[in-house]
Amino acid sequence: MIDTASKYLNRELSWLEFNQRVLDEARDESIPLLERLKFLAITSSNLDEFFMVRVGGLQMLSEQGDTKTDPAGLTPDQQLERISNRTHQMTVDQYTCLLAELDSGLQAAGINRVDPADLSRRQMQFLESLFDDELHSVLTPMAVATGEDFPLLFNRTLNVCVQLKSVSGGDEQPRFAVIPFGRSANRFITLPSDGGYDYILLEEVVGMFVERFFPGEPVVECVPFRITRNADLSVREDQASDLLAQMVEALDARRVGDCVRLEISDRVTSDMRAFLQATLDVTDESVYAVRGPLDLSAFFQLTNLQGFDELKYQPWPPKPPATIDPALSMFEVISSDDVLLYHPYDSFDPVVRLIEEAADDPDVLAIKQTLYRTTKNSPVVKALMKAAQNGKYVSVIVELKARFDEEQNIEQAKALEKAGGQVIYGVRGLKTHSKICVIVRREPQGIQRYVHLGTGNYNESTARLYSDASYMSCDEELGADAISFFNAVTGFSQPQRLRKLEAAPIGLREKLLEMIETETQRKRQGQNAAIMAKFNSLVDSKIIDALYEASQAGVPIQLNVRGICCLRPSVPGLSDNIEVISIIDRFLEHSRIFYFFHGGDELVFISSADWMPRNLDRRVELLIPIENRSCADRLITILELYFSDTVKARRLLADGSYEPVQSKRSQAPVRSQETLYRQTLETVKQADQSRGTMFEPHHAPSSQN
Amino acid sequence: MATESAESLTTSKPIAKPVAVIDIGTSSIRMAIAEIDQTGGVRTLETLSQAVSLGKDTFTRGSIQKSTIEDCVRVLKSYGNVLQQYEIERDDQIRVIATSAVREAENQLAFLDRIFIATGIQVEPLDEAEVNRITYMGIQPFLKADPELDAAKTVVTEIGGGSTELLLVQGDQVLFSQTYRLGSLRLRETLEAFRAPGMKLREIMQSQIDRIVEQIVQQLRHEESIQMIALGGDVRFAASQLIPDWESEDLGRLPIAALQRFTDKMLDLSADVLVQRYHLSFPDAETLGPALLAYARLAQALKLEDILITNVNLRDGMLNEMTARGVGSEEFNNQVVRSTLELGRKFQFDETHATHVAELCRTLFRQLQDEHQLERRFELILYNGALLHEVGMFLASDSYHKHSMYMIQNSELFGLSERDLLLVSLVARYHRRASPKPSHQGYATLDRNSRVAVSKMAAILRIADALDHSRSQRISEVECLHEDGKLVISVPHVDDLSLEQLAMKQNGTLFDEIYGMPVLLRRQAPTSE
Repeated sequence: MIDTASKYLNRELSWLEFNQRVLDEARDESIPLLERLKFLAITSSNLDEFFMVRVGGLQMLSEQGDTKTDPAGLTPDQQLERISNRTHQMTVDQYTCLLAELDSGLQAAGINRVDPADLSRRQMQFLESLFDDELHSVLTPMAVATGEDFPLLFNRTLNVCVQLKSVSGGDEQPRFAVIPFGRSANRFITLPSDGGYDYILLEEVVGMFVERFFPGEPVVECVPFRITRNADLSVREDQASDLLAQMVEALDARRVGDCVRLEISDRVTSDMRAFLQATLDVTDESVYAVRGPLDLSAFFQLTNLQGFDELKYQPWPPKPPATIDPALSMFEVISSDDVLLYHPYDSFDPVVRLIEEAADDPDVLAIKQTLYRTTKNSPVVKALMKAAQNGKYVSVIVELKARFDEEQNIEQAKALEKAGGQVIYGVRGLKTHSKICVIVRREPQGIQRYVHLGTGNYNESTARLYSDASYMSCDEELGADAISFFNAVTGFSQPQRLRKLEAAPIGLREKLLEMIETETQRKRQGQNAAIMAKFNSLVDSKIIDALYEASQAGVPIQLNVRGICCLRPSVPGLSDNIEVISIIDRFLEHSRIFYFFHGGDELVFISSADWMPRNLDRRVELLIPIENRSCADRLITILELYFSDTVKARRLLADGSYEPVQSKRSQAPVRSQETLYRQTLETVKQADQSRGTMFEPHHAPSSQN
Repeated sequence: MATESAESLTTSKPIAKPVAVIDIGTSSIRMAIAEIDQTGGVRTLETLSQAVSLGKDTFTRGSIQKSTIEDCVRVLKSYGNVLQQYEIERDDQIRVIATSAVREAENQLAFLDRIFIATGIQVEPLDEAEVNRITYMGIQPFLKADPELDAAKTVVTEIGGGSTELLLVQGDQVLFSQTYRLGSLRLRETLEAFRAPGMKLREIMQSQIDRIVEQIVQQLRHEESIQMIALGGDVRFAASQLIPDWESEDLGRLPIAALQRFTDKMLDLSADVLVQRYHLSFPDAETLGPALLAYARLAQALKLEDILITNVNLRDGMLNEMTARGVGSEEFNNQVVRSTLELGRKFQFDETHATHVAELCRTLFRQLQDEHQLERRFELILYNGALLHEVGMFLASDSYHKHSMYMIQNSELFGLSERDLLLVSLVARYHRRASPKPSHQGYATLDRNSRVAVSKMAAILRIADALDHSRSQRISEVECLHEDGKLVISVPHVDDLSLEQLAMKQNGTLFDEIYGMPVLLRRQAPTSE
């Protein structure tokens, strides 16, 4: 359990509770098997990142002798100890999930991880020739005598460590060798089979034939292991002017970071374990000996297997939004009314279409937008390149500090520059996290600005998986603000006063605090007040304090926080009126929506920012008021729906743990994501029907029946 | 068909014209991009600003440092990039102006040349009077929109980095305009020279401010129940902090007591803290305290309880000026004339005669357009020269035309630049006695076109003056005719022109010299009797 002495919950432990909720999904028998496997893989890759960034950072603090406590009152050492306890337990749970719960089901469904002992003759022959023809030449063992000549191993890649028997037979030190698999190695080797899908893991195959690497030297032991390195990118921007070059250096630097975790098969002998620990400089607590395959995140690959549809969710493909007439240009659509899209239920295509149309439109003068995480071959980037080639002014802020997608982003940036676009590599000292695109178009009545403001990245593949809001408008003030925002971020101007938007790190926190305090004041004066908000993390202690105060004034507060929540709810006298839920379901909850009753004026905002110091102080973020009443009402309905969820919602308790939200006996269970999907289908159907009656074609009399 | 008309609508030429104004100020270079529609409406599209330390250079060293010039080049180049986005390329779409920091820099020319070479941008340094005029253009829509303000007398003031602009306005009339050497940056820089401790510093600053405030109060002493509209970034910042629900397009009302408290608070904070806490730029943070103190002292001295704040700035005025309603408009000209009359009254001129001569000048200027071929704006110069041609009499009747000249030259007339003022003064000077000569002071500094213009205008003024030689305003209608290389001025409704004819003999020589036409005055026969 989490400490209850403090007003705040520790963020690391709260994050681990989030990962636990994901793991709970993997263990939920009502979910299709391959989806459960996917959740399991997510918990593993989540943990990787957690170790690289958070644990790595804390270890650095610990090594520096830092004893400053976090808001929850824990020193780095205390935090590391609790994290270690929690993650060791979580790792055990992960493997229980895989080995005891998923494997048998998958096997029954025809997905079979074959143990070397159970290989058929045909399979054995296949593997032997695979090893001789391919693996033998691709993999390179490296003999290791001491820590100094230990090869440089990639972060998060698999290796096997081999202990060789000394030939002379004397009392010599055991000889070790390491075979790194590298990044491109295919972990899952498909086996010939009579039906279903049989596969074997690469490390097993290497284990079977490992002696062929060392002719004449008997292999005593061959054990797979994996290291996780500290990836805390303390990019010191002010000391290097060329951010891009520096970033490439940082990427290399990441490889040589300290080892923060050693995962190893529990078959390992104490000799080899001691050897690896010594050479990698890893403490006992940082060793995770597991009884199954290492690196469960690799199982993502398996979840994409063709066929096996009965083991996957039924597809819920995004729908073309009912509010957008496909026959009209996006400019016409937005001119007639503001557009709110809620992804992934509403398709992201209209956003892409807006940028694509802008690229070709002769009246468009400029396109300015932020790119945070994009896909390879992103149609958005393609459209921007086309616009630049068409002579439009294209200005793109490419964020190179988007944690693990840097290489991808650098490539995109270079391609855009080549096409004639102007690329700005973020803001010195700040990460550009806001999602905004503004298109400047010359129209008969004058310059018109079209803006897209969102909570999600311009990434059409995550837009199919993440819940996010998109708002498109040609509102004069939003347009002016969008332009001012770009002028400020791209260094064309000092920040100007914004009319409707609020931007971090300038005024966003102040605005949020002001909104919360207004509710508090109104409640104290006997008016109605209410706060509802949905976002991913709540860490900022100033905001938490303001919420506590609002709660004490009697303001009912409902928070839907997917991940970390350092606020302790339901503590008498402190946070009685605060309810915190978290929803983990098939789509990743990613949208940030804030609601304030505001004396009945009901203010609704969307934002790119979570309520964390990181977002409010060190990132360029936006807070966007949704003034269009029907768009705002839709967001309120969505927010409320999440709080009625009784299937996928879990409620945060005062001790930091979570419990499932039970549906009341008389009520039918509510699964918010499913309801949203059904509602979208219904809206699309209605729109199709009404369009159908409007454009009813003339039929020949004979075809009427 | 419907689609066709829609088509033609989208392909028709845009009605709104994109324009840009760049203002090179003391602590920053600002740009406004706007659209002007056919009715003269201005819609601002973008505003940009970047900090530069021009004022700091000029007011401490007297000249602009090379590194600062290069900063300006960099900023202007980046603005050029934005101009390109809007395809703003023609000269009539861009105005680039510079205020006191550039105007007062010893190396002004080097600065202007370097900017031109590096960016192709022609910077116009504005003198005080022009700044006042442009400010007025910006504030005018506000005055018109508010009937209460429209009726009251209003002091419009901006305490800038280098100087303080002050206008006294009532309705659409500018009653008074003046520029004072009171500037936040100037204050700051002079104070730094004192190297006094904090508290002492404030005292010195206050006494420096009060010296000028006293001057202002003196000049406004006859005015009762006045209001004050304050312009400028510093006071706007104070308003944004103190008036939470201030809509930026309206006038905000800022209580002086609150302003004073806020000023004290700001003066106690270091520039570093201001930058951190309020996200100000460094140059702005450094001048905030002194500027606010100056506003507060001025408001107090004028016994005001609150002041009005507006977002209007020099760029808005420039934009208004770039519209069809801008410079040269009837309204604007009236403002200038009013301010000239005010000056004339100060020197107890013969207002009836002066006005009559000015009116005759206007009639002649228009009828003789083919002969003089001067631009429209010279009509206003001539008109004002005519109004003031005799103010020198206030001093002495001997050589009074020379007194007129330097008295005009050393006054401030609303809406007229220093150069315009020189022209006005020369027109007045040459209304009698010697013809313009290259050796004459003032005249010698003019370029050729201006010299010719002065001669042409002075020649017209002499004729007009001769026409009212009786000082009875009996000749108010004239008709100019050409006969055998002569200019015949035909005068109706007057029987005996001998007095004027005598005067014309003397006054007409300059016209003959300049236009090559002797002037003949003739009575116009009644058409029917």
